[in-house]
Amino acid sequence: MSALAFMLLAFALAGPVPAMLARASWPMRAPRAAIVLWQAVAAAAVLSAFSAGLAIAIRLFIPGPDGRPTSSIAGEIAALGWPLWLGSVGVLALTLLIGVRLIVAVLGVAIGTRRRRARHRMMVDLLGERHHDLDGARVLGVPEPLAYCLPGVRSRVVLSEGTLSALNATELAAILRHERTHLRARHDLVLEAFIAVHTAFPRFVRSASALDAVRLLVELLADDAAVRAVGPTPVARALVACAAARTPAGAMAAGGPTTVIRVRRLSGPPNSLALSLAAYLAAAAVLVIPTIALAVPWLTELRRLFQI
Amino acid sequence: MARLTGLGALERAVMDHLWAADGPQTVRQVHDALSTHRDLAYTTVMTVLQRLARKGLVVQIRDDRAHQYAAMHGRDELVAGLMVDALDQAADSSDRQAALMNFVERVGADEADALRRALADLEAKHHRGHIKS
Repeated sequence: MSALAFMLLAFALAGPVPAMLARASWPMRAPRAAIVLWQAVAAAAVLSAFSAGLAIAIRLFIPGPDGRPTSSIAGEIAALGWPLWLGSVGVLALTLLIGVRLIVAVLGVAIGTRRRRARHRMMVDLLGERHHDLDGARVLGVPEPLAYCLPGVRSRVVLSEGTLSALNATELAAILRHERTHLRARHDLVLEAFIAVHTAFPRFVRSASALDAVRLLVELLADDAAVRAVGPTPVARALVACAAARTPAGAMAAGGPTTVIRVRRLSGPPNSLALSLAAYLAAAAVLVIPTIALAVPWLTELRRLFQI
Repeated sequence: MARLTGLGALERAVMDHLWAADGPQTVRQVHDALSTHRDLAYTTVMTVLQRLARKGLVVQIRDDRAHQYAAMHGRDELVAGLMVDALDQAADSSDRQAALMNFVERVGADEADALRRALADLEAKHHRGHIKS
């Protein structure tokens, strides 16, 4: 019974709930709380998927005629019958496989990201000029406006000559504050977790919506910090100056219209405390209620099974 | 001439010399060029060149007389590669790595127009706000 409930919950948290959350517009006004809610949903989805698998697999320990859990394979087959035993073993194997995939993905993303970043940082240090009046940012000598950061312990903010010539001092301050916020708050670690989950799960159950949404939300957080420092108009000007100049001739939009969303948001209503509070409550509920409603009966059942 | 602090600055100086040089350079030549500005051990230069070779930035040419070193890629080529790596990540949908975070992503022509309109709206709103107050 609890296996079915876990399964339904896992599917709901992997499919419809993220789809709904991705369509909602309120996260734009409560980005920090929305990120927490996304994390709660993702964690709850992963946990309930595991719980479903384990709840099914636990049938292998079905009590035998003497009332004690069966522990030998022959006993299990005798108690369950071949088809059910095979099914349970299959589900257990699948659960373990997903667990292994998740661990492999976390490690793979962590290693791949750091390797690529270290290589890039080495080249930036070699080719960029260090500017002390820009808070130590490295400047590359190219006319295209570039602005990005390399997170990590030895983090870097990278700009280009094109950025310096296209923007005034306030707009540059906006970009620097934006990038420093990413680096200080370690937004990359938030993204990394979602990237790992995204790569671990099979293509047909995962959706890109969580990763895309969180990507946008961390940008909004950094934008907010820049707005607090210099006001909305310089932030918007910096965004437009950097984005518009990057338009590849005749090419399709590659990343989606998130820059437009960010600029429009700067003239929209301010962040809402009420929405934030509601989102934090929802995040807590997503994690706590299923745990209590599903895990507690399941755990008592487990204890009953293993009671000697 | 700025004092060299750490290996990073030394690597930069060595690479700058190799990029400026006419052809492959021996350790002695690099050392001579660099030590006009600063006190530098011959072995340090050799170590730096070997490090750069391991990083794939410098190629070692084995000659009869002495080992010679040359930059593997031109400076502009490396800068171009760096730009591709930086911009590629913003547009990348398959290999979504958090290696670096771009301020903005690449936008299409339609979005560039939408962006300018959104900015005009914001500026108009703020302008009105200033007149009212």
